[in-house]
Amino acid sequence: MFVERLPDEGPGDQHTEVSVINTVDTSHEDMIHDAQMDYYGTRLATCSSDRSVKIFDVRNGGQILIADLRGHEGPVWQVAWAHPMYGNILASCSYDRKVIIWKEENGTWEKTHEHTGHDSSVNSVCWAPHDYGLILACGSSDGAISLLTYTGEGQWEVKKINNAHTIGCNAVSWAPAVVPGSLIDQPSGQKPNYIKKFASGGCDNLVKLWKEEEDGQWKEEQKLEAHSDWVRDVAWAPSIGLPTSTIASCSQDGRVFIWTCDDASGNTWSPKLLHKFNDVVWHVSWSITANILAVSGGDNKVTLWKESVDGQWVCISDVNKGQGSVSTSVTEGQQNEQ
Amino acid sequence: MKLKEVDRTAMQAWSPAQNHPIYLATGTSAQQLDATFSTNASLEIFELDLSDPSLDMKSCATFSSSHRYHKLIWGPHKMDSKGSVSGVLIAGGENGNIILYDPSKIIAGDKEVVIAQNDKHTGPVRALDVNIFQTNLVASGANESEIYIWDLNNFATPMTPGAKTQPPEDISCIAWNRQVQHILASASPSGRATVWDLRKNEPIIKVSDHSNRMHCSGLAWHPDVATQMVLASEDDRLPVVQMWDLRFATSPLRVLENHARGILAIAWSMADPELLLSCGKDAKILCSNPNTGEVLYELPTNTQWCFDIQWCPRNPAVLSAASFDGRISVYSIMGGSADGLRQKQVDKLSSSFGNLDPFGTGQPLPPLQIPQQTAQHNIVLPLKKPPKWIRRPVGASFSFGGKLVTFENIRMQSQQGAEQQQQQHHVFISQVVTEKEFLSRSDQLQQVVQSQGFVSYCQKKIDASQTEFEKNVWSFLKVNFENDSRGKYLELLGYRKEDLGKKIALALNKVDGTDVHIKEEKEESEFLPSAGKTFNISISGDIDGLITQALLTGNFESAVDLCLHDNRMADAIILAIAGGQELLAQTQKKYFAKSQSKITRLITAVVMKNWREIVESCDLRNWREALAAVLTYAKPDEFSALCDLLGTRLESEGDSLLQTQACLCYICAGNVEKLVACWTKAQDGSNPLSLQDLIEKVVILRKAVQLTQAVDTNTVGVLLAEKMSQYANLLAAQGSIAAALAFLPENTNQPNIVQLRDRLCRAQGEPTLGQESPKIPYERQQLPKGRPGPVAGHTQMPRVPTQQYYPHVRIAPTVTTWSNKTPTALPSHPPAASPSDTQGENPPPPGFIMHGNVNPNAAVAPLPTSPGHMHTQIPPYPQPQRPQNGWNDPPALNRIPKKKKMPENFMPPVPITSPIMNPLGDPQSQMLQQQPSAPVPLSSQASFPQPHLPGGQPFHGIQQPLGQPGMPPSFSKPNIEGAPGAPIGNTIQHVQSLPTEKITKKPIPDEHLILKTTFEDLIQRCLSSATDPQTKRKLDDASKRLEFLYDKLREQTLSPTIISGLHSIARSIETRNYSEGLTIHTHVVSTSNFSETSAFMPVLKVVLTQAHKLGV
Repeated sequence: MFVERLPDEGPGDQHTEVSVINTVDTSHEDMIHDAQMDYYGTRLATCSSDRSVKIFDVRNGGQILIADLRGHEGPVWQVAWAHPMYGNILASCSYDRKVIIWKEENGTWEKTHEHTGHDSSVNSVCWAPHDYGLILACGSSDGAISLLTYTGEGQWEVKKINNAHTIGCNAVSWAPAVVPGSLIDQPSGQKPNYIKKFASGGCDNLVKLWKEEEDGQWKEEQKLEAHSDWVRDVAWAPSIGLPTSTIASCSQDGRVFIWTCDDASGNTWSPKLLHKFNDVVWHVSWSITANILAVSGGDNKVTLWKESVDGQWVCISDVNKGQGSVSTSVTEGQQNEQ
Repeated sequence: MKLKEVDRTAMQAWSPAQNHPIYLATGTSAQQLDATFSTNASLEIFELDLSDPSLDMKSCATFSSSHRYHKLIWGPHKMDSKGSVSGVLIAGGENGNIILYDPSKIIAGDKEVVIAQNDKHTGPVRALDVNIFQTNLVASGANESEIYIWDLNNFATPMTPGAKTQPPEDISCIAWNRQVQHILASASPSGRATVWDLRKNEPIIKVSDHSNRMHCSGLAWHPDVATQMVLASEDDRLPVVQMWDLRFATSPLRVLENHARGILAIAWSMADPELLLSCGKDAKILCSNPNTGEVLYELPTNTQWCFDIQWCPRNPAVLSAASFDGRISVYSIMGGSADGLRQKQVDKLSSSFGNLDPFGTGQPLPPLQIPQQTAQHNIVLPLKKPPKWIRRPVGASFSFGGKLVTFENIRMQSQQGAEQQQQQHHVFISQVVTEKEFLSRSDQLQQVVQSQGFVSYCQKKIDASQTEFEKNVWSFLKVNFENDSRGKYLELLGYRKEDLGKKIALALNKVDGTDVHIKEEKEESEFLPSAGKTFNISISGDIDGLITQALLTGNFESAVDLCLHDNRMADAIILAIAGGQELLAQTQKKYFAKSQSKITRLITAVVMKNWREIVESCDLRNWREALAAVLTYAKPDEFSALCDLLGTRLESEGDSLLQTQACLCYICAGNVEKLVACWTKAQDGSNPLSLQDLIEKVVILRKAVQLTQAVDTNTVGVLLAEKMSQYANLLAAQGSIAAALAFLPENTNQPNIVQLRDRLCRAQGEPTLGQESPKIPYERQQLPKGRPGPVAGHTQMPRVPTQQYYPHVRIAPTVTTWSNKTPTALPSHPPAASPSDTQGENPPPPGFIMHGNVNPNAAVAPLPTSPGHMHTQIPPYPQPQRPQNGWNDPPALNRIPKKKKMPENFMPPVPITSPIMNPLGDPQSQMLQQQPSAPVPLSSQASFPQPHLPGGQPFHGIQQPLGQPGMPPSFSKPNIEGAPGAPIGNTIQHVQSLPTEKITKKPIPDEHLILKTTFEDLIQRCLSSATDPQTKRKLDDASKRLEFLYDKLREQTLSPTIISGLHSIARSIETRNYSEGLTIHTHVVSTSNFSETSAFMPVLKVVLTQAHKLGV
């Protein structure tokens, strides 16, 4: 374990400490493509090119393999935990064009549903806010996005948005559950009138926002254009009670944009360039409190970013996990900053 | 899947990778004629717009050329990374000419688009390639073994790579090495390939399989491995791709025999070296892995041959193929369905006809039904193996508790042909801490709460205050912990008793000089003798006479009226006193009505004891004075309400400066909820440190209220709860889960707090206490697996989950433990009482679904099985890392409010002399304060503490309809909760809403029961011999906390080493060898997991130490 510090980023910036508290040897036999903790941060799900999904108990710095889930016939790209109110449920998506939903039943993990509605690699899965029920969005290289809704008794209803992103959707991310005018108290007992939205990014270099119409159909609400190459990931920031909506997007072109929308109608989005990296940026992830963004780049580096008081995004840490490469990573981090 | 198509018989070149948007240039092919036999030639540029779903490509520019082309490439020469210069198009012509075009000028529609041209070659220029390291270097090949190296910066004179090969032959392909910049390869239809080293200026190796059947139509270097290249053969007798390694150049390393007829073109993906495209005269386009020979993909094509094929450099999934039927098609190799596209085309078609009646036939067109050429669904499967560019190599995702989960796949420098190296696939979990100052301040606050060092803490805060206001707030807070708090408040408002006394003395002296006393004496002496004189009783008709008559007849009322009428105020008052209370009051009223002095209203209020009047109608600039008056005079039961009122006025009516002063009033009132509301309005709460500012004050004030009133202040209003959970969220986000738990309000059913608590507890890695299957505070949704199971009556539609999403924690009926003389009385409480303990929380909405057993009685019934918890507020989960005496712990037995001097009979108006901060000598409240909040020793299991309440005393806590939803409870019942100095109306401890999880406990396994009996026995022995209350409290506390151990024993979650250690300790207790016990204890702690033992080992140590000290 070590603690890494960056030199001063500027006045007023506190040092950020990133210290490894647990190293999990997954024993995957090929590349890992995703690693996600459950709602409580006690269990870790990983997936790999070795076609397996694994679940570990990582409480108290330990690592106990709980499940080694086999069922995919290709590399598994992403995993997503459902909210615990629905039980212990994990979704995984794979190059084999399938989405599998796994469930823990009496301590054993089993496949509970398999979605085969895509014609190409399924690259991203994301559960809707739990307030909506069990809804899973899946983005595929066939260009389509499908939405699976659990309707009870083991049944899943499928809606599909065809040609959402030409030659492929790479990422989907739900907007937090916010009732329009949520700052005003809703009449109690009444079902809140949620407007369901999610963002997607794809090989057409676009970020698109989708909204469920009153008739239950999904409609493209916005096209956010700023990237000049594939959008690799989008992440809608968690709601912290402010009226502003925020989305982060990253791309093959090395750019990370922060999109914000202040108006109530949700139609005016403006991009701000967080940084232009020298390599593809694969993944962006917001902290739970929505003030820190973790950016994972193709150079295998992870950086943490925070918006300063004057609205500029500042790199607050350069996370490096392997021992021995500390010094280089710091100097490169500085170069990035310049 | 086909994305786009263009009807051209042309050579094609993609724009370089740097270029955005993506363009495709086409130049009329020299080798083919279309059906019109036209020899016109053109150079065109199309844009690849993937957001347009149609199959058409957008044409950006057309330039009529005098040349037709054998080869077209697009080099990035002079492009910058932004792609503002679009590079250079290099074309190989029919007559030995090489032409350089400026694509940006073509797009702009310029006439002059040719940068340069040179016709040094002999015959058609079929081979062209740009050096990827030095993009100004272009190699070209033509007939007669001619190879030239062109420098685009000096285009006039080309170089040669060495002497021409003999015999002279056509050069069909040329390619720069992808790893070593001075290596070039050329190939000819004869089947020979030559590798040139430009530094040596000579061919270094010739590659040929000597079969004489290889007719090289394609040549490509391995993108990663410098010594490998592939050659494709056009000959139908040998339709193969050969993979050569120059380290072993006698025969091909591998031969790919996937085509049935000659191969016309190949293209090796730069994005993934395992993807090689080939197209042949068998009309197939294949994608194979040249490293294994496996065919990964066959593009769905028509039956035409393709003569040229190119990967798109920028979009690695895209390729273009030019076929002899005069078409260039753009494909994606990611598969997918073409249905969407097709439908779009139809839509487009019909919409262009306006759909109605384009031909004026009077008949609208019927909707076009596309013959669904398929039940076979137009699926195009993707590549058999995922291309490299979709394999995410790295990722970092945040999770709860400020943890960051990261993984990386270190790129292996793939050794030449070596098997993939074994590498470790690790995932790292890191703690991210960004708010250190916030954490350290939070830590300090916790320590203060633990150590009870409030006064010094406040003092420190006062000293560190940056603003006057901040200083005031802390000073006010500090006063709460001092004697004579009202007096101190007054001092803070600028009314020092001593100062005032001096001032008054001074004032009197000024007015009357120094002879006041002398005068008085004189007056007295003058007055007394007069008593002996006779005096005349006048009964004349004037006022005097009338008064006399009235007095004589005992008619005081009229006499007073007369005096008042005559403006003889003093006489009137004196007479009124003699006339009795009623008359006096009337007279006072009349006097005040007549009197017009500036301070009359104050005097009025003082005399009439109408403080509300002052507070309600004083000028707000005089808020200090009003507050001072209230502090001086107000009775305890109205004190806090008045402070509140003043605060509310300040907040709503005053200017911004006064608004913040309302905080001070709320502090005096002890009204936490309003303080929060007011503070929040004034401060920006989004910053962690400003939230910390607020929480510090709130926590201290709550402590103060708790200490001074012994009131159960754990009730938390809506706003405070929100702030506290926000605070807890922030702490959690910094990884301080334990601290977050400590600050989270305990006795609330607000869903977000219950959920957060549950999340925190679980995040701590603790299984829920005493439970087999952990429950969560959510209505579990059923998700049966497989086919629909027989779950009738349980159809939980997640589509309307909002009505079901309520904390699982059941609201237990409010029971006042003290009120029940027998435990059996507990379950008999009517369920109707249940919402009353929510203390202003929202009652469960109608949709609340009871799980399993619906009878609240049943839920409570098993309670007596866990007697140790009966009368304390139990956190629903164990919190082993919580500091002892957490700030929101119930007030412990010995924390009886400080005894302060208190007049038995409160008699305003008394000048600021008597501190009235403390409870009145109300017998009931006194009694209640002595209620044991600390646990009853375990020996008295299952017996309830006998209530010390006077018999028949009604319980306010139960019957009171406490607070309407949405109203801060403290506001709705100020008289019950009281304020500093107010009598206590509601000190009754409620049994807090017990999560149902609490209820079932497994028995301790028999073999470990000895631990419990031994420890408990020891505590009892200590208790009986301990004398000072502090030790007793410690032991009581220990006894309570050892429950954590017993619970762990019940769950059987302790590791064997700890268990055996505990047994050893128990044995040494049996033998009264406590020092040995302590040694074992140390050993156990040092060898075990801290988090596993932290809940009970420290406590055990306390007990052992005490036992040792007491020698029991």
